Amino acid sequence: MAKHFYSSLKKEFKNHLLDYLLLITAGIFFLILLNTFRGQRIIEFFVLVSFAFFYIVWGVFHHIVNETLHLKTVVEYILIAFIIIFLLKIIILP
Amino acid sequence: MERIKTFFHRLFIPHEENNFRAKSLHTDFLTVYLVVAFLMMIAFKQGSIHNVLGFATDISVEKLAQLTNEQRQKNNLPPLSVNSALSLAAQKKAENMFQENYWSHYSPEGKTPWDFILGAGYKYEFAGENLAKNFLFSSGVVDAWMNSPTHRENLLKKDYTEVGYAIVNGILNGEQTTLVVQEFGKPIDSSFAPPSVQASEITQNVGAVPAVKPIIEKRSEQIVEQKAVQPKINPLNFTFNLNIIFMVFLLLALVLDFYFASKFNVLRIAGKNTAHILFIVFILIGLFMSTIGAII
Repeated sequence: MAKHFYSSLKKEFKNHLLDYLLLITAGIFFLILLNTFRGQRIIEFFVLVSFAFFYIVWGVFHHIVNETLHLKTVVEYILIAFIIIFLLKIIILP
Repeated sequence: MERIKTFFHRLFIPHEENNFRAKSLHTDFLTVYLVVAFLMMIAFKQGSIHNVLGFATDISVEKLAQLTNEQRQKNNLPPLSVNSALSLAAQKKAENMFQENYWSHYSPEGKTPWDFILGAGYKYEFAGENLAKNFLFSSGVVDAWMNSPTHRENLLKKDYTEVGYAIVNGILNGEQTTLVVQEFGKPIDSSFAPPSVQASEITQNVGAVPAVKPIIEKRSEQIVEQKAVQPKINPLNFTFNLNIIFMVFLLLALVLDFYFASKFNVLRIAGKNTAHILFIVFILIGLFMSTIGAII
């Protein structure tokens, strides 16, 4: 199972290398900013919201490029991003 | 048993009956998660406003004292006993930081940590101060202090015999803040003659300093040991664990869906599971990072 999972993952990353590099870079940038503004809750929350919005834009962009954009897909990215924002709001800005 | 198997099969494995997408990742399920997360956020906010849920952290004086003494014992040092005068000094310091809106060892009006310690009626031979803000857990506070050379020096200074703590919530620089103040001290013993000339003042991070000020009259203030009210189940701790469980559940659903969809070569209209997995992994790391506040 692990072998098949790994090869599928590798194939996916290889097919869309630039897109995933962009997402990973944004993720690393998000963690660096969180670390830089440690203890400053409002800025931490702003960083989280920015990353979540970037993720939605990334999703739309990725599916436009691959000609697989559909309303259902966009809604899926928006829902996941907002679930995360609401959940982390409780921790970051109680 | 068969029904449970079918339930989990529908929930996690993409196949014909769930339109080749794990049911737990369907838009209607995601909407339910969103509504639950939103309601939780509102409930927590309301609870905090009415102070029903108590402190928005899981930090307690007992835990801080226990963890500090554990670190001292690891380094073959005697434990520190909690002193009510030092706790009062810590409480006054935290209140002053909120009143004058500063995050520093020294107030804008020039008050030093020693003013608060002496003001609480604690005559010291040695004294020091550690500050922390916006941590979620006691262990995070002590770990951060131990990782900073100047704070570690305070925690492990053999000259100290007593300690006082305050954990106070308030608004600092416009945002809700939980301050942790730790005051160290060694009381002056009766045979000790205080220096008549002031020694050199400290310049940087407050560490242990010798008694540099004339000893003031001991005030007859009633000191109540500061103690955070800790509900049996801390709501923040509960929510934190719930967040982790939910994100791990979502990750599991995404991984299984991705694995089976690629194994069966399923073509469907859906978001990219790999992107969702990456996003949630970064968020999980961020969640753990957000438990760490700032120290000075």
